[in-house]
Amino acid sequence: MTVQTQANVAGNMADDDLPARRRRNRIRHNATQSAIVAAAIVLVVLFAFAVKEGLARHGIRFSFSFLWDAAGFDISEGKTVALKDGVWPALLNFTSDHLIAQAFVTGIFNTIKVAVLAILLSTVLGMLLGVGRLSTNWVVRNLSFWCVEFVRNTPLLIQLVFWYFAVVLHFPPIAAAAKFYGVVISQQGLYFPVPTWQGGDSLLAVGAATALWVAILGVLFDRHGTVRWICAGAVLLLGGMMFATGIVGLDVPVASKFQARGGTSMSPEMAALLLAIVVNSASYIAEIVRGAIDALPKGQWEAAASLGLTRRDTVNDIILPQVFRVVLPSFGNQYISLTKNTALGIAIGYPELFNIYGTIANQTGHSLEGIVIVMASYLILSWAISAAVGWADRRMTRHGASR
Amino acid sequence: MIARSLKWSRHNLFAKPFDILLSLTVIPGVLWLIWQIAGWALTVAQWDIIPQSLRVLMIGIFPVDQVWRTWVAAMIIAALLGAALGCVFAFRGRHAGGLLLVVAVALILTGTNDLANILLVAALVVLFGLSWALISRVPAVRKGLVPASFVGLIAIFAVMAPPGAGLWGGLLLSILLTLVTAVVTLPIGILLAFGRRSRFSSVRWICTAYIEVMRSVPLIMVVYWIWILMPVLTPQLNLADVVRGMIGFTLFYSAYVAEYVRSGLQAVPRGQTEAARSLGMSEFDINRSIVLPQALRVVVPPLVGNVLDIFNTAPLVFIIGLTDFLRAGQMILANPQYGDRTYEVYSFLFLTYFLVGSLITFVARKLEKHLARGSR
Repeated sequence: MTVQTQANVAGNMADDDLPARRRRNRIRHNATQSAIVAAAIVLVVLFAFAVKEGLARHGIRFSFSFLWDAAGFDISEGKTVALKDGVWPALLNFTSDHLIAQAFVTGIFNTIKVAVLAILLSTVLGMLLGVGRLSTNWVVRNLSFWCVEFVRNTPLLIQLVFWYFAVVLHFPPIAAAAKFYGVVISQQGLYFPVPTWQGGDSLLAVGAATALWVAILGVLFDRHGTVRWICAGAVLLLGGMMFATGIVGLDVPVASKFQARGGTSMSPEMAALLLAIVVNSASYIAEIVRGAIDALPKGQWEAAASLGLTRRDTVNDIILPQVFRVVLPSFGNQYISLTKNTALGIAIGYPELFNIYGTIANQTGHSLEGIVIVMASYLILSWAISAAVGWADRRMTRHGASR
Repeated sequence: MIARSLKWSRHNLFAKPFDILLSLTVIPGVLWLIWQIAGWALTVAQWDIIPQSLRVLMIGIFPVDQVWRTWVAAMIIAALLGAALGCVFAFRGRHAGGLLLVVAVALILTGTNDLANILLVAALVVLFGLSWALISRVPAVRKGLVPASFVGLIAIFAVMAPPGAGLWGGLLLSILLTLVTAVVTLPIGILLAFGRRSRFSSVRWICTAYIEVMRSVPLIMVVYWIWILMPVLTPQLNLADVVRGMIGFTLFYSAYVAEYVRSGLQAVPRGQTEAARSLGMSEFDINRSIVLPQALRVVVPPLVGNVLDIFNTAPLVFIIGLTDFLRAGQMILANPQYGDRTYEVYSFLFLTYFLVGSLITFVARKLEKHLARGSR
């Protein structure tokens, strides 16, 4: 009897106090929430305080003012943003009388330079390898498979030092450099021919160049098939015409006994870093592509075969367009990890962001402030890449078949 | 026979004009490359540098008279790895034969003729096989595996520490670093993954921020940062470089483990949680006994792949002055006497890394199939 009454009372109370209980729960939730926030803030403050104390013990003050000191060291390659003739901001070579902040800019410039080149090249190579793994040709299939396996199962760092110490530094010296369609390959670096402007400021030449740019923009951004083809044709036509009339010349590097002149050059460090990262990243991209192709329903292949399409047409028109839509996010992750991997350049002395940070930390002792800058730079780079990939993904999926 | 091989090559090499072209260009190139490499490896290369410097490659600059400590550590590692393998693959008779083959190949490749070393290597493999067999045949032992692995890791530290943690090096350092990171990141990663879907937005926010920041900065930077930050934060503790490196690796890879675990948590159907809740289970019990076991089952293959990632990034500890396997190889090459043996040493390093890496990949793939079969 007593038990029953108690149960009733309890039940009634629960019914009556439902709003009250909800309110109590909400208050408890909010209290926990605020407690966690407070604890986190206290932790961060304690952390900052401990760092400040520790630095003070070493006689270092936490401040970013060192950024505006003169660097006092040289960087072997790379541009920085500086005032040209004290007026216009421009990209100039870094010299030791520039500021430390400008040294950081040089590092970011070099990192972006390698990252962009590596993203372009590794995507192409990775697609080739990925499709190669599905080739009907036994040798090509197995060759791609083993290349990908080997690269994925060994550390990137050993690949990098191997490319640098065992390959690039064993290139012939510049006096005996290998020449390859105008490309000069030597220990001192790689030299590539570049197109140069020879048209001066004649109106015709400038007009042709402008038209070329418009056509290129048209190819890149126009979504309608026919206009795009017209633009591509115009690009080819205008480009060929400008070469033929000598408005644009080709600056071919010429190797002499001690150095090469002309063209554009790439330092051995950059060449090794680029090779290592491109090959490594291409293997991962190949694996992404293969995974995506494998994940497509088999019916796609069978339907294409029953329509009488050849295997090449099937791959080009049926499989790859669908694969592109699926792989873009994975490609984005790979691009981010590729950009992070450029930090290994410090192992072979390529002056990317992390390497230059190391030099600055050594020279000034402001290693913790520098880390904040480096970290922020990598975060921004990663976000920029994922934003760009997200944009491309939306653009690709907006029109065309749904997934 | 000839007809069959002709038919095979018609199908696989010369099916279409494009295939013929590919075959005709690729096959001679590959053959030429193989010929060149084989010719170099068999005639030009001086492989004697590998047995001569094997000790440095394996354990770095660890003092010679303390080598027994590294053997003990290696025994513990072998037993732990065997036990881990035993949890997923049953030990069969043919595996014993395979292990013997591994011993033989390892001894021939390294060219050791010291009887003590031969016996020790044999003991290592036997221990590995024994613990594999024990765990797979007697499932009751598995319950003690997690505490045993922690005890084993602590024992390794206790054995290896006396001569000074600064002397750890070589392949042993790479493997230790990988093991410690793999074991310690798991609980932290699980906590972070749950934190990312917590009821409290502040916990969610903090965990997400940690994971995202760690995932967008390079590992080498995190390791270096922890290395310089630890003495500033705790000047009286005076942690060894190795420990600081392990902390850096753990902080970095926890974020990755958390993402893998989170993908596993998402794969558990909502109905499971709802059913458990309607049975009146507490949130903690639901997560511990319903959600987590199913989630972990899904993420075992990616987590094994993550172990390979850790092992492949272990050479980055060069940034804090440690001598891991790769760095030990470079140290040998820095000796002017061996300056011309670049390719021999790098070949050995590449081969070892590739063998270990392929083994881990193989296990991950097998596991994936194994688990897929179980869930059908």
